[in-house]
Amino acid sequence: MTIALETRALTKQFGGLTAVDSVDLIIQENSIFSVIGPNGAGKTTFYNCITGFYEPEAGDILFYGKSLVGLTPDQVTYRGISRTYQNIRLFSNMSAIENILIGQHSRLHASWAEAILHTPRVMKEEKLAVEKARELLNFVGLVGLGDQLARNLPYGAQRRLEIARALGSQPRLLLLDEPTAGMNPHETTDMMHFIRRLRDELSITILLIEHDMRVVMGISEQIAVLDYGAKIAEGTPAEIQGNPRVIEAYLGSGAASGLNNAAAQPA
Amino acid sequence: MKKQLRLALNAGITFGLITIFLFLIGFTGTAGDLLGDLLRNKNADPFIGLTPQMLNMLIFLVLVGLWAGAYGSRKSKGQTDDPWAPALLGGLTTGLVQGVFVGCLALLVGTLNLQHVQISKYLSQLLPANIKLFLLGNSPVPGALIHLVLFTLSGLAGGFLSRGVGRGGWRSQSGPKWKNTWDGFTQRSFFKQVRGNRTTRNAVYGALLLVVFLVPLVAGQYWNYTIGTVGIYVLLGLGLNIVVGLAGLLDLGYVAFFAIGAYTMALLTAPAPHHLLWSFWIVLPIGVVIAAITGLLLGAPVLRMRGDYLAIVTLGFGEIIRILSASDVLTPFTGGPRGVPSVSGPTLFGKPFSSNIDFVYLIFLAVLLIIFVTNRLQNSRVGRAWEAMREDEIVSRAMGINTLTQKLLAFAIGAAFAGLGGALFASRNQFTGPEDFTLMVSINVVAVVIVGGMGNIPGVIAGALVLKGLPEVLRQLQDYRVLVFGALLVVMMLWRPAGIIPSSRRKMEVEKDTGVTETPEEGRGK
Repeated sequence: MTIALETRALTKQFGGLTAVDSVDLIIQENSIFSVIGPNGAGKTTFYNCITGFYEPEAGDILFYGKSLVGLTPDQVTYRGISRTYQNIRLFSNMSAIENILIGQHSRLHASWAEAILHTPRVMKEEKLAVEKARELLNFVGLVGLGDQLARNLPYGAQRRLEIARALGSQPRLLLLDEPTAGMNPHETTDMMHFIRRLRDELSITILLIEHDMRVVMGISEQIAVLDYGAKIAEGTPAEIQGNPRVIEAYLGSGAASGLNNAAAQPA
Repeated sequence: MKKQLRLALNAGITFGLITIFLFLIGFTGTAGDLLGDLLRNKNADPFIGLTPQMLNMLIFLVLVGLWAGAYGSRKSKGQTDDPWAPALLGGLTTGLVQGVFVGCLALLVGTLNLQHVQISKYLSQLLPANIKLFLLGNSPVPGALIHLVLFTLSGLAGGFLSRGVGRGGWRSQSGPKWKNTWDGFTQRSFFKQVRGNRTTRNAVYGALLLVVFLVPLVAGQYWNYTIGTVGIYVLLGLGLNIVVGLAGLLDLGYVAFFAIGAYTMALLTAPAPHHLLWSFWIVLPIGVVIAAITGLLLGAPVLRMRGDYLAIVTLGFGEIIRILSASDVLTPFTGGPRGVPSVSGPTLFGKPFSSNIDFVYLIFLAVLLIIFVTNRLQNSRVGRAWEAMREDEIVSRAMGINTLTQKLLAFAIGAAFAGLGGALFASRNQFTGPEDFTLMVSINVVAVVIVGGMGNIPGVIAGALVLKGLPEVLRQLQDYRVLVFGALLVVMMLWRPAGIIPSSRRKMEVEKDTGVTETPEEGRGK
């Protein structure tokens, strides 16, 4: 098996606060890997380190064997990592298609001069890009909504559009930040199936931050638990559910002995 | 009932104070004169003892009274749009209050005037002649009474009109009437067809273009000069539109690039201070390139800043360029405070461009070129990246957009447009000097973009027409030019907050900010 992403002793500090505390993770290619933890455990900071928005104080991030440390966010995207946001951050005054076209930015090449001159290469590229955007839109199940403005789409559709936009950059690794936040149980189930399809049909490795334990336990192959920035456990869903340190982190000390299955309940 | 009366009272007080203000600045007389120009009755015989001047002033005052009455009646009428009585009562109350205010004023100034107090020492417009005109040649008490009756009656009539027209239905929709009318106009058949159908649209654009190209032939020297200035501001506006409207970078020192284009043209073609005498056609692209390079050089360190900080730094840069061009040290190089005279114009097939008409056409061509370039850029990968950056810079970085490169690009292209404008400007004026490049130019260009409609080419053109063309049209208002211009700007921003012709996107942003439309995600979790 190939390793898609590996972090080695990754550490990020804000002043005296260590938000990510020497975290070691190995994410296999083509797997669904979840990072969980209580609020403020450092999950989003971890994402921001991977995507190049924060420069880690120590440690290394290897993506298919090459270090990502020191790269800017756009370079990271170019390498093949894309992400979505916990609170949907679409370009809300642009149409769905335009959103996906922006997602494709790093895979297109038109320079300003070519754009002005409309060279045949640019015209062809642009045409293909629009076709590709429509394909992605259909793939995420938003058939025929391409000309709708992102802000006018229903909530669930916005989540899907955000994923389609992330897919526009042809990522090998997709970072999802609470993709089911704010969804009802039915929508959540749909999203779970959809995430599996991303992996199975597009062979994209998925890294997932999620609070909904039903989702986490239902689709993850590996789970890492962060608490106060440090990794306190790692394993399969079954292993995590029985881990006393995890239960303690979520419910406080003392609860671990009595509530073995607590983590398995929907949050 | 009590509330309605209070509203009418408020309206009356407001309009009363407005009328007093208009009188104190002497506008009642001037407005009468303007009406006189319009009606061409200045030399008419006196009518029931009133000179044409008095009559014209009265007409103006009645118009104000009608407006006040209509306004007051509409306010006090509120939601009940059935009976006549409240509407008329509202108009009457408003008119009465306004009449009392203006009557008191007339009484006061009339009495003071009789006592030979020189009020004009304090308020320059209150000359005895003006006061006499205001009192219609009467003594204070009858004069005041005339005003009281006049405003009461016109208020009542205003209420009547408001109610009568309201019945016709054109005011019955909710919301600002003109906005609805305008939106209805732009979205209805003809406009929609123009937008939807490519051939029709091209035909309309072609016809517009033809008209625009014919105008300089009939316009005189002065108006062609003005049209040229508007054209140069269109160039500047379109350039800044890329920087501010598309990429979202507030550049308050845009005049710097304008100055660099102008000085490049001046220094390379003028006989003094360098005696290079290069050809206009060679220098024009050089000016554009030098401005673009300056944009890159300034942008590289500065574009790491955002928002307000960027605005301040660019503002400083604009001033630095102006001060440098005027400095003693650089006088041998730039011509110093006195500027560079005898900047050469272009020649075409041996014929030198001499008249303003030639330059107007040259500027038209430049504008067309820039419109073409802007349009192409806007609808490309580059333009998309700019708009994404303006909407959400963080996310656009995560989407693989190198924001620094894209900002530099926007900055350089914007600067290049300004360089082109500057080169044409210097060549047309046959002169360039530090006074041409004050902070006001930058502010004017920002205003062109904002008033016209950010991120939209027709908007920028409309903005330049309004901000640079309208003041010339208003010139016959003399001293009131700036007053009327300011009022028009205020009205425009109330009426079209996103600009005269906003881009569809920008319009939605403004509506979102003011909460006009509700977003679907409202009320959902997270």
